[in-house]
Amino acid sequence: MTATSNDKDTAQAAAEVEMVTGVIDGHEVTVPKGTVIIRAAELTGVDIPRFCAPPLLDPVAACRACLIEVEGMPKPQPSCAVELGDGMVVHTQLTSEVAAKAQAGVMEFLLINHPLDCPVCDKGGECPLQNQAMTTGNPETRYTLQKLTFPKPINISTEILLDRERCVMCQRCTRFADEIAGDPFIELVQRGAHQQIGIGEEPFDSYFSGNTIQICPVGALTSADYRFRARPFDLVSVPTTCEHCASGCSLRTDYRHDAVMRRQAWDDPEVNEEWNCDKGRFAFPYLSLDRLSGPLVREDGELRPASWPEALRLAADGLGRARGRAAVLTGGRLTMEDAYAYARFARTALATDNIDMRARAIGPDEAGFLASQVAGTCGPTYAQLAAAPAVLLVAFEPEEESPIVFLRLRKAVRQHGQQVVTVAPYPSHGSTKLSATLVPAVPGAEAHSLAALPADVRDLLQQPGSVILVGERAATAPGALRAAADLADQTGAHLGWIPRRAGERGAVDTGCLPGLLPGGRPLTDPAARREVASAWGVAADDLPTSAGLDLPAVVAAIAADVATRRSAAEQGDEAPANTIDALLVAGVEASDVPHSDALLRALQDVPFLVSLETRPSEVTDFADVVLPVSVVTEKEGTFVDWEGRRRPFARSFPLATTFPDAEVLALLADYLDLDAAPRDVPALRAEIDSLGAWGGERPWPGAAGATDTPNPGPGEAVLASWRLLLDRGIMQEGEPYLAGTRQPSVARVSAATAAGVGVPDGERLSVSTDHGTIALPVEITEMPDGIVWLPMNSPESRVTTTLRATPGDTVRLGRE
Amino acid sequence: MPELPPALSGFWVTFRTQFQKVNTEQYPEQKDKFPPKPRFHGRHQLNRWADGLEKCVGCELCAWACPADAIYVQGADNSEAQRFSPGERYGRVYQINYLRCIFCGLCIEACPTRALTMTHEYELADNGREKVIFEKQDLLAPLREGMVPPPHAMVAGMDSHDYYMGKVTGATEQQREEVQHEEAQREEARRQDQGAAQ
Amino acid sequence: MPLTPVITAHWDDPHSYTLDSYRRHGGYTALAQALKTDPDEVIATVKESGLRGRGGAGFPTGLKWSFVPQNDGRPHYLVVNGDESEPGACKDIPIMLANPHALIEGIVITCWAIRASHAFIYIRGEVPMPIRRMQKSVAEARAAGYLGKNILGSGLDLEIVVHGGAGAYICGEETALLDSLEGRRGQPRLKPPFPAVAGLYASPTVVNNVETISSVPYIIKNGVSWYREMGTEKSPGFKVWAVSGHVTRPGIYEAPLGITMGELLDYAGGIRDGRDVKFWLPGGSSVPMLTADHLDTPMTYEAIVDAGSMLGTGTPMLFDETTSVVKAITRWLEFYRHESCGKCTPCREGTYWITGTLEKFQEGRGSQDEIEDLVEICNQIMGRSFCALGDAAATPYAPSLALFRSEWEAALTQPADEAFDPAATMIIPSMSGVGA
Repeated sequence: MTATSNDKDTAQAAAEVEMVTGVIDGHEVTVPKGTVIIRAAELTGVDIPRFCAPPLLDPVAACRACLIEVEGMPKPQPSCAVELGDGMVVHTQLTSEVAAKAQAGVMEFLLINHPLDCPVCDKGGECPLQNQAMTTGNPETRYTLQKLTFPKPINISTEILLDRERCVMCQRCTRFADEIAGDPFIELVQRGAHQQIGIGEEPFDSYFSGNTIQICPVGALTSADYRFRARPFDLVSVPTTCEHCASGCSLRTDYRHDAVMRRQAWDDPEVNEEWNCDKGRFAFPYLSLDRLSGPLVREDGELRPASWPEALRLAADGLGRARGRAAVLTGGRLTMEDAYAYARFARTALATDNIDMRARAIGPDEAGFLASQVAGTCGPTYAQLAAAPAVLLVAFEPEEESPIVFLRLRKAVRQHGQQVVTVAPYPSHGSTKLSATLVPAVPGAEAHSLAALPADVRDLLQQPGSVILVGERAATAPGALRAAADLADQTGAHLGWIPRRAGERGAVDTGCLPGLLPGGRPLTDPAARREVASAWGVAADDLPTSAGLDLPAVVAAIAADVATRRSAAEQGDEAPANTIDALLVAGVEASDVPHSDALLRALQDVPFLVSLETRPSEVTDFADVVLPVSVVTEKEGTFVDWEGRRRPFARSFPLATTFPDAEVLALLADYLDLDAAPRDVPALRAEIDSLGAWGGERPWPGAAGATDTPNPGPGEAVLASWRLLLDRGIMQEGEPYLAGTRQPSVARVSAATAAGVGVPDGERLSVSTDHGTIALPVEITEMPDGIVWLPMNSPESRVTTTLRATPGDTVRLGRE
Repeated sequence: MPELPPALSGFWVTFRTQFQKVNTEQYPEQKDKFPPKPRFHGRHQLNRWADGLEKCVGCELCAWACPADAIYVQGADNSEAQRFSPGERYGRVYQINYLRCIFCGLCIEACPTRALTMTHEYELADNGREKVIFEKQDLLAPLREGMVPPPHAMVAGMDSHDYYMGKVTGATEQQREEVQHEEAQREEARRQDQGAAQ
Repeated sequence: MPLTPVITAHWDDPHSYTLDSYRRHGGYTALAQALKTDPDEVIATVKESGLRGRGGAGFPTGLKWSFVPQNDGRPHYLVVNGDESEPGACKDIPIMLANPHALIEGIVITCWAIRASHAFIYIRGEVPMPIRRMQKSVAEARAAGYLGKNILGSGLDLEIVVHGGAGAYICGEETALLDSLEGRRGQPRLKPPFPAVAGLYASPTVVNNVETISSVPYIIKNGVSWYREMGTEKSPGFKVWAVSGHVTRPGIYEAPLGITMGELLDYAGGIRDGRDVKFWLPGGSSVPMLTADHLDTPMTYEAIVDAGSMLGTGTPMLFDETTSVVKAITRWLEFYRHESCGKCTPCREGTYWITGTLEKFQEGRGSQDEIEDLVEICNQIMGRSFCALGDAAATPYAPSLALFRSEWEAALTQPADEAFDPAATMIIPSMSGVGA
């Protein structure tokens, strides 16, 4: 038996590594050199008990549960730490009495101080220790003395509870926190039988803390959120994909009846390995929070419940009237199939190219960049990222904006000394954990930093396999996307674009951008139009021929329409036709858009507004028709992660009163008497696949060059800002325990800048624009002078709504 | 016995039986006359500790054991302010669906705290589906002498192990006062609410 | 066999610890000699001498040095293990107090041999005196040019850091010591990699006992043949024997390996008050006990193993018949329970279980089943634990049961303090406060 699989690549890779052959329980096994015995034994089908040895952590050999006998070694050896050697003869518990006895002895030891509270323990029913005790443990204990007791669970963070009695000191949690997450906030304290896991003065507020619960082999670590809510046998598990960011984590959603009880990381070695972040793990209560249960229509200025046929009729009529003069805003959170349905619906049913999925700050370069460099492409991948000798991050904070990318980078840094270079205003906590080299950049002027990249960084990137990762924030820095693409061309590095939201990449691929048809087809290319038209069963002439409006342009057009109508009314003329007569909006949170006031006004002013939403929002407040749609647990679909990898997921449980977006659009098309669009996910996927990616030219027309570096005057600073992983995002609502682990909101400035406005470290700094002021405690940070950093969407710091500013804008500083 | 025509022989049976001893049980008028056997499996009961705290810890092992899927349990956290059972966990929701229950008693065997036992009550028929889904309040054992209704604290100085060891023999004065105090506060709140409503 | 004072030769000087005194008796001449020799030759000399580690395991010192990879471009370190915490062991601390410069000279020679420019002396934290003395002596040696840059014109740069531990027995285990020295929690590390490959700060490191390193200058100065004249073929040389327990004159006796316990006992004036040996331990509490039958066994690494024990640190403890075996073993196990670092299951839980059970025996509440169970539990620790601490804790019980079963059976009902008068067993009765 060998470790090689049928997969060709794996077989080739295996041929290159040195292989060793040993004998385990009489069976020969060939594995790559360096494989520990416990893994080699797994290949022969022998399961050696273990508590301290999950595959992705360094061996520690502390629990001694996996002792086995190796011929020629005097003592039983820990199979989790001893590598299989050539010719080594190993006897596991199956063939060696010594090994069986050693394992039984360790089991007995583990249980002497373990409480018998399995009935109330959250791990009961899925507990490795329980399973091991039931399969190999003694039914009767010889231990008659008092068990050690500790006060029952203590909070090591608001989310994580520690029950010290149950702990078997395998150190999985402390090793995970130290090795994988780089947040060694928990450590062993005391010694001997009194040894326990402890925190220092700071709580265990790691973004990855929830993984420790999942890898804990006993019920010592539990979450406040899932505590006593269910037992494993109540739960139905469905493999799903995380909807919180573009990392594309595989998750296991466990539900009971019609409520999600918990979510865990699902093992996917290609993507998230065995980990996920706390947001993906705990932020699911929003799924059932004040959901819309049926359609609403506006009557006499008030929304009232309506039947589906009534609401669909109204919506279809309104949209039909606005055919050619409508716009579609889809947010960035839709599945690939839903996004495709919107892209198709806009171009066919609404006969418009006014479609934009970007409910966020955007830049002039971005659409061209996405169309030419991203849409319909694949890669770089996680595997390439892990193997890269050097990685350049541009306007991207992996730990905050795509945590699994962060974990992969950290693994590469730890395992083979990958060099990470970040173009950012200051070395963030995450960059520090990556030992990243900082290329200081003034927000908005990243293009300058890229142009003036130090020669040694360029040399790093010229190593084969290097990667440049551009965050979505780079769009707001004029010229930065172009500079990054040029740098990739010059150095040969792979270029990757990492958006924040799970649906953005899929929306790009399926054409939810003005001027961009599915598969990266340029709308302006007649051949591309013909391909799409034939797939959609329409005449090529029926498709729009010129690029439509993006979100800010739609907002501006509606404002212009209002002005025109008003001036026409004043002069008693007949009003000319509006540019935008109707809006179809899905999953847009107004406050995500930099000038949300303008967007809200547009929503109010547009003659007809249809909102497809899961719960009441600022958009539904102004909508003429509200059609409730399904959340991710209620539908199947696909998220496309930042690599371009499809991450399909299944429906967990249905909710009778809502439909997925694609199905609602298909219904609307029916009401518009159009040819039925595909409405179920398999059909949508088939159509997307049959279209495939564009093989022709992908022009990137001349874009804005870099602007001058802003030069803030005294008492002013350039605003730097990004979203923290845990902030006040609406998809984190309803989870107070998770919210308790958020980073405190602080403002960051350099010592000189702070001194310039007379604010000492820790005092409150006020940051203001003409629209408002944010005051936060200041944390003096090593960074260029004249820059102030604020969390973008944290409690007490809502940059888009309070300041109505975007990074790169100049703001005023002062003492509160 | 003369040979009767077949048509009449059926009447002969009726006639003969008229003079035999009657076997009819006078249920329900005389049901006490026929008590169930000691090990009869009747309606379930959720027992209490001697001071009135519930024995159920909401572990769901009964639900797990149930071959008919008749039991539904949801656990919750005891807090210092609201304690229903000794220890960390109590059964917040406890339902038994008597349309499904087959009275096999596996749930009783599964119960780790002896919280769930079976009574001799067998009159469980009713005329509505929801009426035969028994909730926790329908199943809880009545408060006996020396018990006070939860939520209330454990006996001072005792912990859950002491309860299991049988060291608690009844509610203490302190627990009584606590429950009375809580009751008085609720009463006060009720009165204020009524006052506000008027 | 006569005593052979070498390290202890001049301890009767009024200020034996000073540089002057050390130099007066030929100190630092070995250093000058070694620095003129090729480092590899120094290693070869030590290898030939057959010097074995004095910390307990008896690993050949020269061999250990030769494991350090050369010309690997990484810094090398020497760490001297002065974390002497074994119950009954008291030899390194006196050496550091009375003859600190022998250690320093040994360190410099060793660093020359293994090409290290940093050495650390890790001293048990509970004993501040040797820490202070070593710090002073290091300063003295530095001022005299035996440390620092370009020592004696050899081109060797060397700094010595004297580091006090924080009071954990486990830090005497070499890898736990390295973790502690790095500022981490002192717990043994997974081996391999061994310290010689990746030790302190992941660099090649030699960890040696104080006595081992202190012996080095004398070997260099007097030569291999002088050294090998003492002791036996496999256990050559002299050894500092720290004899303690119920002897008339407990103390330090330096004699060649191969001396018998009986001879050492004679030097120590025999058992106090003319009593008899009940049992004795050749080297600290971590080795199996022996009885009067073994007083004629030569004290060499091999012969003691053949007798069923281990030489360990070479610090014999002797107990007379006033001693309760049950109580002695309970006391040792209480020590191991307290000092178990908690990393591995057998040691952490096993010492807790054994000690709890032994305490019952000590109080006269044992049970027949437990007498046998304890053997089994000890076997579950022996060879299963992460480091030698677990083995040490599992060692004492079984031999004591073999030798003194009746005492254990008596402990089923009779408390140890009733069977043996606690006052009688006290070495200094006035300090007992028990039974008096």
